[in-house]
Parts: sequence; structure tokens; C-alpha cells
Amino acid sequence: MAAVEAPGELLRVTIDDRQVEVAPGSLVWDACEKAGVYVPVYCAHKKLEPVAVCRMCLVEIEGMPKLQPACATRVSQGMQIRTATDQVRDFRRGNLEFLLLNHPLDCPVCDRGGECDLQDFTQRYGPGRTRSAITDKVHFDKAVRLSDRILLDQERCILCWRCVRYYEEVTGEREIVLQERGVHTLVDTFEHRELQSEFQGNLPEICPVGALTHAQYRFRARPWDLRRTASVCPKCSYGCNIFIDAREEQIARFASNDNPDVDDSWLCDRGRYSFPELNRTERVLNPEARLGGGRQPVAHSEALARAAGALLRVRGDHGAGAVGFLCSPQVTNEEGFLLQWLARQVVGSPHLDHRLEPLPELSPEQFRLGIAELEERDAVVVLGDAPERSAPVLTLRLFKTETKRRRRVLRVPLGTPAASLLEPLQGCRSVGVVAHQEQRSEAVALSRSLAGAGLSSSVLTLVEGMNARGCQDLGVSPAVLPGYQPAAEPGMHGRAILEAAAAGSIKALVLLSPDPEWERDPAFEAALSEVEALIVVTPWLGLASRQATVLFPGRTVAEKAGTVTSTEGRVQRVRTALQPRFPFPPDLRVLGELGGALGTPLGVQPLAGPVFSLIAEAVPPYRGTQGGLRADWGAPA
Amino acid sequence: MFRELLGGLRTTMRAMTTKPVTIQYPEEQRTVPPRHRGRHILHRYDNGLEKCIGCELCAGACPVGCIYVQAAENDPQHPVSPGERYAVRYEINLMRCIYCGYCAEACPTEAITLGPRLDLSDYKRERLVATKDDLLEAWPGFRPLSQGAGEGTGSPAPQPTPLGAGSEHRGPAGRAPGLNPPIPVRPDEGRGTPPV
Repeated sequence: MAAVEAPGELLRVTIDDRQVEVAPGSLVWDACEKAGVYVPVYCAHKKLEPVAVCRMCLVEIEGMPKLQPACATRVSQGMQIRTATDQVRDFRRGNLEFLLLNHPLDCPVCDRGGECDLQDFTQRYGPGRTRSAITDKVHFDKAVRLSDRILLDQERCILCWRCVRYYEEVTGEREIVLQERGVHTLVDTFEHRELQSEFQGNLPEICPVGALTHAQYRFRARPWDLRRTASVCPKCSYGCNIFIDAREEQIARFASNDNPDVDDSWLCDRGRYSFPELNRTERVLNPEARLGGGRQPVAHSEALARAAGALLRVRGDHGAGAVGFLCSPQVTNEEGFLLQWLARQVVGSPHLDHRLEPLPELSPEQFRLGIAELEERDAVVVLGDAPERSAPVLTLRLFKTETKRRRRVLRVPLGTPAASLLEPLQGCRSVGVVAHQEQRSEAVALSRSLAGAGLSSSVLTLVEGMNARGCQDLGVSPAVLPGYQPAAEPGMHGRAILEAAAAGSIKALVLLSPDPEWERDPAFEAALSEVEALIVVTPWLGLASRQATVLFPGRTVAEKAGTVTSTEGRVQRVRTALQPRFPFPPDLRVLGELGGALGTPLGVQPLAGPVFSLIAEAVPPYRGTQGGLRADWGAPA
Repeated sequence: MFRELLGGLRTTMRAMTTKPVTIQYPEEQRTVPPRHRGRHILHRYDNGLEKCIGCELCAGACPVGCIYVQAAENDPQHPVSPGERYAVRYEINLMRCIYCGYCAEACPTEAITLGPRLDLSDYKRERLVATKDDLLEAWPGFRPLSQGAGEGTGSPAPQPTPLGAGSEHRGPAGRAPGLNPPIPVRPDEGRGTPPV
């Protein structure tokens, strides 16, 4: 009495007396998850295709004579699944016994100890003690250096193939292979070559045991030492969700925090291993002010009063246009917005930027396309090497779009005319254009002419710097006000501000978290030595902190709370993962209090939440987005 | 009334003739039972390598969180412990420790045990955070690893008393340098009996 299945109709299955409805084509494993029945797996992974090699997930299905792998069996209407029978329990116990036969059991020195699936499942389902009298296990090499980032302990491997499949399905690089046969099977790189991939850091994370480990995290900490904070990767503007794992106010590692709409649980090595710079201990630790001859540590309130006094003096003597404001794209939305408020509303200066190079013709049209929407487009046109350059994780998304979703991904050199694309795009109805921000005008023009040819087309621009997109949305740039409103009188861009400061027409400069890279720029050095009043909020020692007239200790990205906007316009939270080594107020408060000291109180508490409501008032698309949603900038004009 | 007075005096007279229960502490030390849970000792193998591998299971088992371990990778040329990993820092906050012995129970290499030392007082709190130097067992051929092989025999770092040494009381003249005179342990069992 087989029921006729309409396409899309939900299938009713029973798992251990719990009934759930799942979509056709779902795996038994998914159905179990939906029913809240835990099934142990090693080889199965949410982002990889099933192979059913570990045999850990075997369950009983009525009508089938043998146990079936939950990770590879599709559900059918009325399926009766049992996961708690004696047969299943026996099988799990036996399976673990086999896995442990040759496992070295060096858990006390293994970096995975404490968060290892083999430990957990043995504890939960395992036999408890060995029955085997075999004393010499098969031994392989330990701590094989696959690259400067990854170590492989071949003894600990349980041959789940996750790493092999990851390289095959997710990156397409195929750097790890299984070698030999039977009990001698081991995982290694092809011909013992060094790993070249830019996504190696994901290997230890998908490895269910301690076979693949981070060289950087080696013996740094135990999982129970770590305090985990959900945040956003600070390295680029792509906005990958991460966990910051910290031990004693030092970051021990970045771990991925799966967001299917952004990173799809993968991180690039550039971002994952970027945290040592946040652990640097040479920091600005005190508010300081130039008094008489030299600079001395002062109280926070006195530093504020001196900063306000210097700004008022310059404004009184030379007018508001003699004050310039610069920040790096590492600031949060709230800080950027307050800097913008400080410049335009409090001081009255239009000279404000979040980068040195000019960025004319900004518009939300350059950011219409979302990252997850790429997969839904019939074709994606990538201009130049934008993803490799600015957002490596996007290359994984493009690979997935091409291989798993079977969409066309066209990589075209810069300057390709739209007409020459029409032929390869034949039969496509929707197309996405991905470009670096430098090519934004070209990308928009290309998208417009594709739209003119009858395709639905939109652009994803990749900006440079963690929160560059937020700075642009919130008007931390000379030509646009918050929400891309054109400024009545555009100010100078970053480099022009520095040149004007060196030439003497800008007398006071306010720097918020200046980019340490700027210090290599001769214009920056010239500006800083010429300017009359230099007010700096920075965590790092360097040129800016040395030259400052008034210096406030700033916080790193890991030490502050707020929101940042990723390049696709997703407003995501950064949270305080570390406590700074000083007891002074965060950057946001410094900006708010500086406004008050200059005679214009902020009106709300200078905290991330209240300031975000100010942002939502000024920039309506930001309303209600701080939980990780994309700001909706409306339909194309 | 007179009778009661005499009765009280009899008790006093009896006390005068019995051996006193007090001892001249700290010059004299009381014998502690072999399984006494006093200050911890980090042990070594016979070849001088530390038993501790820095796995932090003691810290994980500790109910009061008084153990701090920082592990590091062994230099294969000059290993501190057998295998890949050793404890570069090992600290116990003796003021917070409740001497429950869970650390010893959790230890997979029997590197840490609780010893006979019970005189845990000091004038400075900082000194009551025992470091690896304080806790590590002496070893006859001990030479600090900072000195290269073949160099002179560096004097052993100040070490806790090896257990079982000196089972008879020592007077002030025989007192070991430092604050802590040796603590006698009842000689019958010693600490050698491994847990079954």
C-alpha cells in the first residue's frame, strides 16, 4: 500500500517512537537530528557528501535485514527507524573496539583531548576496557609536519576520509590522499609534498580525532581552559563568523562558527591564523598628554579636557575646516558613526575618512548581491582575481556554486566588454557580478549592460578592511553622509587630509585606531610631525602614539563590543573576548565623552546598544539588523 | 570538700609522671602516616626525566581550580619528559588547595602525589604558590637543563624532602637548610606502594 508521493510532500518517519516529517531526499541522519535522537558519526559531515565508511551511525530500519548507515540512507514514507536497540548498541561497541585496536591512546598529550569524538563516543557507547591481548599496535609516524601550519599524527587517524573529501569537494585541491591498504592504510599528502592550500586550517576542525592538529595551537591549552566568544573574523570584510577561544586574556585560537549564509563553516588561513597580532603585549596602557616639555600619563578626565581644549583652540583660531578625522576600517559601526558625528555635528568639519585612497561614486547599488544568493544565480561573473585577493573564503563559495550547484562561474579579466559575455551566458536568466571595490564602476556598468540585455543582474563588491562597508554605509567618508546621502560640501579624502596637514592647512588631526600600515607612508609621517594638535585613540605603540598630543589607550577588535558590517551588508556583532590590560573606557566612550567635552552631549549613553539605535534612526536600512541580518537598501533604482 | 581537692591533685600528679604528648615543633616533627595528603610532589623517572607530561588532567580534576599548567613541546635533543609534551609551568596555589588528592588520582603518569609535608605557612602569600621548582622531586643526577651536557654538576635546586628519608627525629643542629626540616614518615609502608 505504497502511498503516492507528490513532489515536495513531507515524509513521515518514526524514530524510536518519535514521529517527524522531513523533506524527500533527506538522510536518516537528518531525520534523527530533527527528532532529537543523537546518532554518533565520524565520516559524515554536514558540508560533505556521505560515504558511509566509519559505520558508526548504523541504525535498525524495519524491513531491512541488516543495519543501515544513517548518514547515507535516504528516508522513505513511513520508515521505522530504531537507534536504541541491543543490536545497534552491540554494533557501536564492537565498532569502537576495532577503532581503538590500533589507536595509540595518547589522549593526555593529544591536542584534541577533551573535544575528541573518539573519546566522547567511547565514553558513551564504548566497551570500557579492551578484550584484546595484542600488545604491539601498528605504529605510524607522529607529528608529521604537513606544512608550517598543520601537523599529522598518522597513528591517531581513524580513516574517516573527511580531510580527503574536504580537499576534493570543498576546495578542489586534492592535497591529501589515502595510501596503502588494510591495516596499513594511512592518510598523507600526495608524494609527501607540503600542503599549499590557503584553507588548511579547516582540516583540524573537521578531523573527528587528534590526527590533524594546528601547529600554532600545539600544546597551548586544553579545551576546558578556553573561554569561547562568538565574534567576527577581523582579517577581511567578508565577515566570517568565528569563535575566539581565549586562555587567560590571550587568544589561543580562532575556530569557525558556521554561518551558512556567509562562511559555510570554512575559514581561510589568513584569517584563522591572524590572531597573534591581537595578542601583542606592547600596548598603549595609559591616557597621556603633552604637558610642558614631554608627554606624561594623565587621568582619563584630564586627557579628555586637554583633547577638547586643543580642538576648540584650533577651531577658534583656524575654523572648523582645520580639523581632520581619520579612522581605519577596523572600527565598529558605532565608533565610526560617533566619529562621523564628532566631525560633522560637533566640530563641524567635513574632512573625514576611513581610508587614505579616495573612493568616489559610492552607492548601495555596488552591494546589491548577497553572498548566499550567488548560489541561486544561473551564472556568476568574477572580475579579475578579486576573491583571491580580498576574500579567500569566497573562492570556496564559488567552487561550491560551480560544482555542487552546477552554476556557471565565469572568470573574466578586467575590461571585458559585456557584449562578449552574452554568448557564454546564453540561457541564463540571472547573473551575479563579483568585483573588487577598485573595479566597482566597471562592475556596475557591466551589470547594467547585462540587465539591458534582459538578464537580472546585481553586483557584489569586495571592500578592503574589516568594517569598510560599515564605514561607507554610515558616512565615514568625505563625500557621503550616513545612508549614502550626498554631502552638501564634500570634504577631503584621507590622503588629501594628510597632505593638507603636512602643508599646514589642517591644524588638528583626530586618529581613531589608525592602521599600523599607514606608518610606512611618508605622507602620514609628514602630516603627524607638522600638525599642531594630534589626538589619537589606538591600542598599538607606533608613530601615531609617539607623536600624539593627547593619547587614549584604544581597544583591539577582540576587546570591544559592537557591530560590524560585512562586504555584503550583513550587520554582525563583535563581542568582548578579552579584557584589556588597562582600566580605561573603550573607544566608543572616549568619542562620546569628547563630544560632551566639546559642548555637544551625545544624548544617549555611549554604549554599543544605544548608539546603534542612533544609527538605525539615521540609516533606516540598519533598523533591526544587528542580529546578523543584511541591511536592506531597497530595490534597484 | 577535702576529698575532692585530693582527687583533683591526684590527676595532676598522674599527669606529671606520664610522657608529654607535646613535641618541640618545629624542631621536632611528628611522624605522619604514609598516605598523608600534604603538599604535592612532582616525581621523576629513574633516568631523571619528569613524569609530568603537562596534560592538565590534574587541573581539570581539581575541584577548586588551584592548579595551573602550561604545556610545551619537548626538544628531542634535551627532553624534559618522555614523549612530545611537558609542563613548562606547573603551579599550585597551596592556599586554595583542599588536599583532596583528586589531582593524584587523575594523573595518567603518576607524576603527582600528595606528600608528607604539612607545615604550609608563610609570611608572604606569593610564596604559597608552589612552582615547579618547589614541587619537583630531587634526583641524584639532577642538573638544570639550561646547562649543557658534560658541564659541572650544578647543585640541585632546593627540593622538598625525599619521602622516607630520616625516620628519626632530628634536633635543631641536624636541621636541613631552609624553612622545612625533614618530615618523618612511618617506615613500614613508605609511599612506594603503587595504587592498584
